[in-house]
Amino acid sequence: MEQIQIETRDGATVFAPGETVEGTASWQLEKPARSIELRLFWYTQGKGNQDVGVVTTVPFPDPALQDRRSFSIPLPAGPYSFSGKLISLIWALEVVAEPGARAGRLEIVVSPWRREVVLQPHFPAV
Amino acid sequence: MRARDNPFAAQRLAAIPYRLSGPTWEELLDRLAALRCRAALVGPHGRGKTTLLEELARRLEGRGLRTRLVTLHEGDRRLSAAQRGTLFRGLTARDVLLVDGAEQLGRLAWLEVRTRSRAAGGLVITSHRPGLLPTLHECRTTPELLAGIVADLVGGEEAGRLPSAEELHVRHGGNVRDALRELYDLCAGLTSSPAARTGSPSPRGR
Repeated sequence: MEQIQIETRDGATVFAPGETVEGTASWQLEKPARSIELRLFWYTQGKGNQDVGVVTTVPFPDPALQDRRSFSIPLPAGPYSFSGKLISLIWALEVVAEPGARAGRLEIVVSPWRREVVLQPHFPAV
Repeated sequence: MRARDNPFAAQRLAAIPYRLSGPTWEELLDRLAALRCRAALVGPHGRGKTTLLEELARRLEGRGLRTRLVTLHEGDRRLSAAQRGTLFRGLTARDVLLVDGAEQLGRLAWLEVRTRSRAAGGLVITSHRPGLLPTLHECRTTPELLAGIVADLVGGEEAGRLPSAEELHVRHGGNVRDALRELYDLCAGLTSSPAARTGSPSPRGR
């Protein structure tokens, strides 16, 4: 069975904007990959259409069937991870092997408060 | 409930495969071939035409064809330059053109699509009304279909706490997309169930 995994240093999944995410990507493939790359991106989920922003792409050249590579990616200043009732913004790291779009994903939180920002409905004063 | 946890989030709905009722996929593809791959998927809003078109595209690609999709929205009487490029540039007999929402096009724009699609291997459209091309499949919904989708999204036990599929199907005139949006709002706490709003007890004991 194929496996693609992402591990961050000390298992951290919560980061402040501007911090650097360090870790390793490892995989065990049954068929050779033409390319393998790590992507740092955010996406939205909720009632409306999905938006996606790919921030950084790190290629891993000459990937073997079973391999392990380290990475170090600085995070941007934003957007922050947040959730409301209508929309959530979720950050993730993903390793994608082509062909076949074989992938492993790790969700992370990017926020200066080191937790997802939860939006509260605003009720105007009566 | 956070949007990311909502079982009726748009991304989860998009992952639901089309549930073909009536013909099998093989029969549908055979019928499409018999129509020289020029046909329409017909039905009112929220009946799954786009989902069926996307599934059809995957199956055509599985048969070695290439698909080129453009989506038209309310008021799109003409194709944009980008859409014309997507549909017509370097067209070959291996290409099948897919036009989602073809009824939006004006007469001249539709004539252009029909004429230029002759160089392609096929043209499949979705439309709210029949008549533009021979109908390949008429998309319909039923309360049972809606109930099945809801159960898949939330599980059978949780589905029992929501308004019944029959009630939703009637309230939205068969528009499953709108019914699922209502359930999104309900789960998000943006609305209460109609039964709760009127103060009448819900048949499902919410």
